[in-house]
Amino acid sequence: MENPLHPFELHNFIQFSLFGLDLSINKAVVMMWIVVGLVAWLLVSAGRQRRLVPNKLQSLGELLVEFIRGIILDTMGQEGMRFFPLIATLFLFILFCNLLGLIPGTYTVTSQIVVTAVFAVTVYGLSLVMGLLLHGVKFIPGILVPPGTPWWLIPLMVPIEFVSQVARPVSLAVRLFANMTAGHTILGVLFGLAISGGLLIGWLPFAFTIAMNGLEVGIAFIQAYIFTVLTCVYLGDAFHLHGSEGHAP
Amino acid sequence: MPQFDSHFFSSLIFWEVVSFATLFFVLYKFAFPPILEALEARERKIKDSLDQAERNRAEAERKLRDYEAKLQAASKEAEALLTQAKDRAQRLMEENEQRMMAEAERIKGDATREIEHERRRAIQDIRAHTTDLALAVAEKVVGRAFNDADHRRLADEALRAVGESNT
Repeated sequence: MENPLHPFELHNFIQFSLFGLDLSINKAVVMMWIVVGLVAWLLVSAGRQRRLVPNKLQSLGELLVEFIRGIILDTMGQEGMRFFPLIATLFLFILFCNLLGLIPGTYTVTSQIVVTAVFAVTVYGLSLVMGLLLHGVKFIPGILVPPGTPWWLIPLMVPIEFVSQVARPVSLAVRLFANMTAGHTILGVLFGLAISGGLLIGWLPFAFTIAMNGLEVGIAFIQAYIFTVLTCVYLGDAFHLHGSEGHAP
Repeated sequence: MPQFDSHFFSSLIFWEVVSFATLFFVLYKFAFPPILEALEARERKIKDSLDQAERNRAEAERKLRDYEAKLQAASKEAEALLTQAKDRAQRLMEENEQRMMAEAERIKGDATREIEHERRRAIQDIRAHTTDLALAVAEKVVGRAFNDADHRRLADEALRAVGESNT
């Protein structure tokens, strides 16, 4: 049986390095370019239409934008719209990486832990920077000690809150990476079973792969959505200290 | 797991940052402003249309009330005019009738008086004629005309006869 983790392997197409850094082009990098090209084409042409009664392309673009705007307004309120371009780009990038990865023969960029980690650390770092800029140094005790904590609980609360803060970027990165990896691994396992089972019994796992693929489309959406919502929650926390705690689904 | 192969980390991180920055820039510059603008324009348009519709509805309602009130007033006025006209016609008719009757009464009275007058005159005329006729007949019968002296004599005789019969 074929190794179900085989689809995650990368091979450099073009060896290329700059200042001693290996910047080789591989399948994941090409997929990123495709995603960038596709999202840019879609959204820019949707923005070109500017009709009062939208056509299909414009509707799709407006649907996506409206969706992200809804998330931001729900979690951060009007002041969160400052982050709209960043959050919208993040959502669209992750969503299209997830979705395009489902096409057989392509590569799921978000199944690379390093890719999700960069997003997660960036988002969390941005929330810390925003908090420090808005609230000054008292932001640090502000996030480590929830308001209303009795003084004798502070020695207990500080480590707990510290762990919860550290868990934020880690869980953000691992959740997306693990979901994408697990889905494709299951698909890989089922395909392996279908091939090794032959016609007699192989149709059963093959049927499962069809169902799994449908499920994976849903997961691709949901994970992009969760990543975006949590980004909004973390950035929102920087605005209003302990206004709303984000709980990972 | 192949994902933990740190061999690819540097290139993945680099190209991720580059790709993301490119996408961010393109969308930030060319996609989000027009789309958000279009959304807001549509929101405004819908809100304006609804407001306008609400205003029009209120206006129409107000006009309807106005017209209804006007119609009612007009109908009342017409009714009043009709009653007034009827009253006047009635009064005119009654006045006319009275005048006519008075006139007729007067004409009748005049006619009666005239007739009476004529009758009396006719009777007098007849009387005069009768006397003349009687005198003429008497003249013929007597065969000669009485003169003044005769008249006097006759009158005296009559007076005497009357005086004698009284004593």
